[in-house]
Amino acid sequence: MRHARIERWSRVASPLHRRHATAKIIAALVMLVCIATLTRQSLWCCALYLALLATAVPLSKLPPARILLSAAAVLPFALCFALVSAISGEPDRAVMLLVRGYLSSLTALLLIATTPMPELLAGFEVLRAPRFLLQVMQFLYRYLVVLMEEASAMQDAAGSRAGSIRALQLRQATGAAGVLFARSYGRAQAIHRAMVARGFDGHIPEFRTHRFLVPDALFAAVAAGLAISVRLVLP
Amino acid sequence: MHIPDGFLRTRVWVTLDVVAAPAIGYLARRAQREFDHHKVPLMGVMGAFIFAAQMINFPVGNGTSGHLVGAALLSFTLGPAAASIVMTAILATQALVFQDGGLLALGANVFNMAIAGVWLGYLPFALLGGNRAGIFLGGLISLLSSAFLALSELMLSGVPIPPAIFALSCGLFLISGIIEGALTLAVVQALDRIQPGVMRQPKGITRNLGLALGAAAALLSGAGIFVASTHPDGIQSLALQTGIAGQATALFRTPLADYQAAFVRSPWLTKSLAGIAGIVIIYVLCLVISRFLTAGRRQAIAPRPN
Repeated sequence: MRHARIERWSRVASPLHRRHATAKIIAALVMLVCIATLTRQSLWCCALYLALLATAVPLSKLPPARILLSAAAVLPFALCFALVSAISGEPDRAVMLLVRGYLSSLTALLLIATTPMPELLAGFEVLRAPRFLLQVMQFLYRYLVVLMEEASAMQDAAGSRAGSIRALQLRQATGAAGVLFARSYGRAQAIHRAMVARGFDGHIPEFRTHRFLVPDALFAAVAAGLAISVRLVLP
Repeated sequence: MHIPDGFLRTRVWVTLDVVAAPAIGYLARRAQREFDHHKVPLMGVMGAFIFAAQMINFPVGNGTSGHLVGAALLSFTLGPAAASIVMTAILATQALVFQDGGLLALGANVFNMAIAGVWLGYLPFALLGGNRAGIFLGGLISLLSSAFLALSELMLSGVPIPPAIFALSCGLFLISGIIEGALTLAVVQALDRIQPGVMRQPKGITRNLGLALGAAAALLSGAGIFVASTHPDGIQSLALQTGIAGQATALFRTPLADYQAAFVRSPWLTKSLAGIAGIVIIYVLCLVISRFLTAGRRQAIAPRPN
């Protein structure tokens, strides 16, 4: 499963993994803005950005082929719109949709694949994202796999009772969704009781992470500086 | 319906980020204030539930199957403010972990699905008092509004959408909307049998205000889609005719005009600097407003005395 792979990637030890999440978020956002404003005359820029992102991959000690391929997950969607653009007589726009889509996706993937989720949320908290929202995201991420496995176990069970999973009738499928809802609700209540038992009093603690050090600031400055200077040097 | 990065024109995604960020900040505070503290894990787990429920394929006839989007279901069970936050958490997780939707386009996706989708879907539910028609219409309107907003944003960004494709997408939206409405209704009914009392009774919107809001939203979206479809740059010409555009550009350009001429020659840099200045101003404004609103409310989610 995709999130399991990303979770594994984010626990690798590398210079890029060691940087503070806030530094990586800032660098990624600057990069994304530079990519999003690329126009059709700047194909050299695109090539340079691809080279820049590609050099970050070995730095992160992640499998390069897998990373470059994973970022292509956006292409099917982009291809639909690119085809429509090409048919409407705008081949330039079609190419740019694909290029910008892929480069942005690669940037976001590098951010998440080098930062464990709790640290990423801490990084967003430093940037003043609402802590309540981040807490909801943390619970969501934590129980994502649990509930997805519950859903697939329910599907297997229904399949073994009915003989074929595909033939699940609408009534049974909605019933399954209802049961899943009720179980999730019950699970949330159990989680809350367990939290209260461990001393939860409604106060949400801050996310913990290590300190923002000089190398982190340097990394953010260099990455953002490179991204911006590519846009400044090339017309 | 998740718009990736690189599809929206800069003006469009910046505007929607700027609209969505303070709205979500406000809704987060409101959801935090309205809820007992046991709802914090509940909201996260219900977000994970939506992911899991999307794995269930619902056969909808002719061998095709649909899956639940869930914005309306969340707003009926958790209330619209909490549902907006849960949807935002879902969209952010999809953008980060699954590369489904962009990070810069997150504001657009949040606006379409977590704000418009949730609140417009909640309207018929609140107006009709939570009966079957209200639940079905809620699901339908929630999906339709999100999909049309996404389509109009793409059109405003200059992505060419020929009339035939536009008509086709409208048809597809309507079908998926009807499926979403039917699924929402069916799941709510199944839920009512399994665990009665989970559904929230609609409250907080008076009938007249709700009606006015609904009519305004329907009119606006209808007019917007009509203008956008008949006239590729219809919105711009409308803005020009009414003179709004002129005033707005003058307002935004004046403070930075001299600075641009004196300092820099690169057109990309001038535009970005203007943009960054705008974002910084709005960021500071949001911080100031949130400080002002939350003064003395630090302990908002402390447990209530029983």
